[in-house]
Amino acid sequence: MIKKSLHIVFPILLVFLFAFAAAKINNQADSFILQSKQQRFIAGKPITLSFSSTSKTANPKLFLIHTYGKTVLDSQNNNGQITFKIPAMYCLKTGVLSWYLIQDETKITNGSFTILPNDNTVTKIENYLGPPSLLTGTDHFTMMVAIPTDKFDNPKQDGTEVLIKDQFLNDITVTQKTTKSFIAWKNIYSRTKSGKMLLSTECNNTDSKEFETEVKPSIGEDFTIDFSRNHSFADGNQITSLTTSIIKDRYGNLVGDGTLVTFQVVTNENVLLKTYASTINGVAIGQLLHPDHQDTFKVKAYITGIAQSKTISIPYLPLIKNFKYTFTEKNRRITVGPVRSFMKQLVPDGVKVELKIFRNEELLETKIVETNKGIATFILLAPFYPEKEYQFEITTLGITQKTDTKQYEVN
Amino acid sequence: MKLINNRNIYKTAFALSFILISIFTMLGIGRVLDYLNTGASRTSMLHLETESEDVYLPKVSWTNLVNPAREMEKNTLGKLERDYLFSWYVKNNALEHNTSKGIADYYTQNTRHNLYQTVNYNKAHDITIENTTLKHFPDLEFYSEDGQLVVFKDRNVIEYQKIYQNKKLLSIVQDTASYQVMMLLEDGFWRVRHLLKMDAEPFIKDSIQPHPIYTVSKNKILKNNKPYTIKGINYYPKNSAWDTFGERFNKDTIAQDFDIIKKANLNTVRIFIQYGDFGKAVIHPEKMQKLKTFLDLAQAKNLAVIVTLFDFYSDYTLESWTLTHRHAENIVSTFKDHKAILAWDLKNEPNLDFENRDKGNVLAWLEHMTTVIKENDPNHLLTIGWSNSVEATNLSDKVDFISYHFYNDITHVEYETNKLMKSTQKPVVIEEFGIPSYGGIWNFWESSIQKQADYHKQIQTYFKKNDYSFMSWTLYDFPQVPDQVAGKWPWQKYRQKKFGFIDEKGINKPAFKYISN
Repeated sequence: MIKKSLHIVFPILLVFLFAFAAAKINNQADSFILQSKQQRFIAGKPITLSFSSTSKTANPKLFLIHTYGKTVLDSQNNNGQITFKIPAMYCLKTGVLSWYLIQDETKITNGSFTILPNDNTVTKIENYLGPPSLLTGTDHFTMMVAIPTDKFDNPKQDGTEVLIKDQFLNDITVTQKTTKSFIAWKNIYSRTKSGKMLLSTECNNTDSKEFETEVKPSIGEDFTIDFSRNHSFADGNQITSLTTSIIKDRYGNLVGDGTLVTFQVVTNENVLLKTYASTINGVAIGQLLHPDHQDTFKVKAYITGIAQSKTISIPYLPLIKNFKYTFTEKNRRITVGPVRSFMKQLVPDGVKVELKIFRNEELLETKIVETNKGIATFILLAPFYPEKEYQFEITTLGITQKTDTKQYEVN
Repeated sequence: MKLINNRNIYKTAFALSFILISIFTMLGIGRVLDYLNTGASRTSMLHLETESEDVYLPKVSWTNLVNPAREMEKNTLGKLERDYLFSWYVKNNALEHNTSKGIADYYTQNTRHNLYQTVNYNKAHDITIENTTLKHFPDLEFYSEDGQLVVFKDRNVIEYQKIYQNKKLLSIVQDTASYQVMMLLEDGFWRVRHLLKMDAEPFIKDSIQPHPIYTVSKNKILKNNKPYTIKGINYYPKNSAWDTFGERFNKDTIAQDFDIIKKANLNTVRIFIQYGDFGKAVIHPEKMQKLKTFLDLAQAKNLAVIVTLFDFYSDYTLESWTLTHRHAENIVSTFKDHKAILAWDLKNEPNLDFENRDKGNVLAWLEHMTTVIKENDPNHLLTIGWSNSVEATNLSDKVDFISYHFYNDITHVEYETNKLMKSTQKPVVIEEFGIPSYGGIWNFWESSIQKQADYHKQIQTYFKKNDYSFMSWTLYDFPQVPDQVAGKWPWQKYRQKKFGFIDEKGINKPAFKYISN
């Protein structure tokens, strides 16, 4: 019985042993040889990698490292001919594609090939221009960067020719540049005139759209100022206009509208006054109220940190030499005026009249009243001014008059 | 009338449903308002609020910043580098999880769609690819005048990837390639506009000459070219078990201990640096200062130090590789010229993680870490502290000497050590050995201080006879042992507390006589 079963088992065992041994040998001997020797492909064209193998059943896998991703491909074994179809998404993009042939968790062989941009497709061109505005002058520039690509958004190979064009007034420049590291670029220098500059690029008959950069005037140069006024009297009412000369940059371009000019005024008493104005067409006009007393204004204008003018002097003549005043109603009403101006006309309403009240040389109070129709009136009510006598000083339009000591009734 | 009747139930149900509906309506309105408010603040428009955590820190060395256009500002470079690494991080993440999360933030509109295609393809074919890049050597080629466009070539990017299909590992591939990159500054992000994979370039060899004190020749460790037998001890200060550089770090305590060690005729100590304790990828400076103090003391007392890295760390996934690399790089490069260091021990008993953390992962991590350490410190030796002599043959060609921990029956020490020496042709160090003196209910009175002394007496005779390098475990008994070390149960903990040559009170145990030979 045992013998009989041995007879059966032994051959079966032998067959198994042989089969496994064969399988094992077969496995070890599996070799894969790359058949597609092509090293360079053009983007957009299908790519297949084929290997010849001694095995007619092996189905190795191909691990791909592409610029934009990694994946694993399954193979088709057609009678020892193993092919891998590279997915379309990887055929479209350029770069080195590394592959690793993997079977049974081991890397059998590896290699790589390059996909190049497809120059037969329409060229696209992407441009970056910056900075978007310039100052006039020879050391400012804007940079035009052009990135020509093929239809599949693959940057062209190094050495691709790109024309970079710029126009300024009658001056049109076309420069030929070649790409390196994706880009062709050029610094376009500013001009001495302000205005608009137009730029564009061209590659393989593909033209970019029009780009615009503004050449703005540089900072202003020093300037002069002048003044004009209705009359030269210090009436505290009229306005003196301060006008700059036309402010230009060093190339003769008008500075940009809205450049702020500060007019700084120093009076005889060293009081500092300021007025501001923005330029229009290079000119700024500042306004200044006339003083209400004789004075000389020294005016200097600045564009802060940039330019300045020389100082000019504006004298203001006194409006009156003296004025009348009267004490009435038991000296309790003081009427100043009528104050008369340079043509004997009444001074404009609102001229300040100051009354200083003294008692025994001691200042008690200062009252201020504005004129109306040339006249200013002060009323000293008895309850507030109960003393027997006061002295007064009256000042208007820079003229001061001292009164006698006035007597008052005491209740 | 009963309180619970149909009418009351209806009433309650009605009232309750009214309240519920009100609550949901309010929540709904709240959500709508919340949604309408998103993106309304200006900070979110400029992405100023993006605080980034260190998730991806491959080595980046800018080789060249000179370019024909605008001069690169340090601040911009930092931002650019951060965003560029993020572009790799989101790409890696996309390939690993087949998700498009984050891609839109770091790739421009035309470019991102290339990545989406891969994600879709891999998702459909159930392919996942774990990735990390290890090194980047970007070389700036162009930075536009308006600061909005940059082109650089990232030379020799080392990519390491594990490829899975149908959740099964297909292969592990390391690939080196250069990438030409163009990035644009768009609403606060530097985004990849063009990318081009190129062939790698030949590496430039580092010409710095190492000047080591300790070297290896055949199976001997040499100090200044003279044979050096390590007679060492694993060291934690008495009250800082597993926390050498913690709050209780004290220079005087360590100096006293070093005197004890030196007097006991020992020449080397082994210490441990915990990954988290030292600040993970960005090292805490105060910890470095403590380590320097420690090493300076050792140098003053003429003791050599084996510094064990990555203690209490066991994440070997690709995701964390770059972080651990920066950790090691920081420590190792700081002390590359320190004369007290004999060797870096890469990790304590990594083979214990083989089962739970995948042996392939652990070994790959260790192998790359040896490269990182050797690159940053060519002056000191390198070893890995395996927990037994069988596993100690792993990566033996990558380390300078083999370390293993001997806790088996004492009679096997010669057999195991000699066998290991024969198989590797490198010096072998018994980096840990010892028995506890604890005898109590938790180990059935297995040991005693006398048994411990006998053990050390006997094992030292073997060491002396064979001139073995050894490091005993450990100088002190410990009143406290953290759970991570041996386990939380008393029978595990009590043993671990009593391995010392000196007891908790500071009195030498009988075994102290046999601490060296």
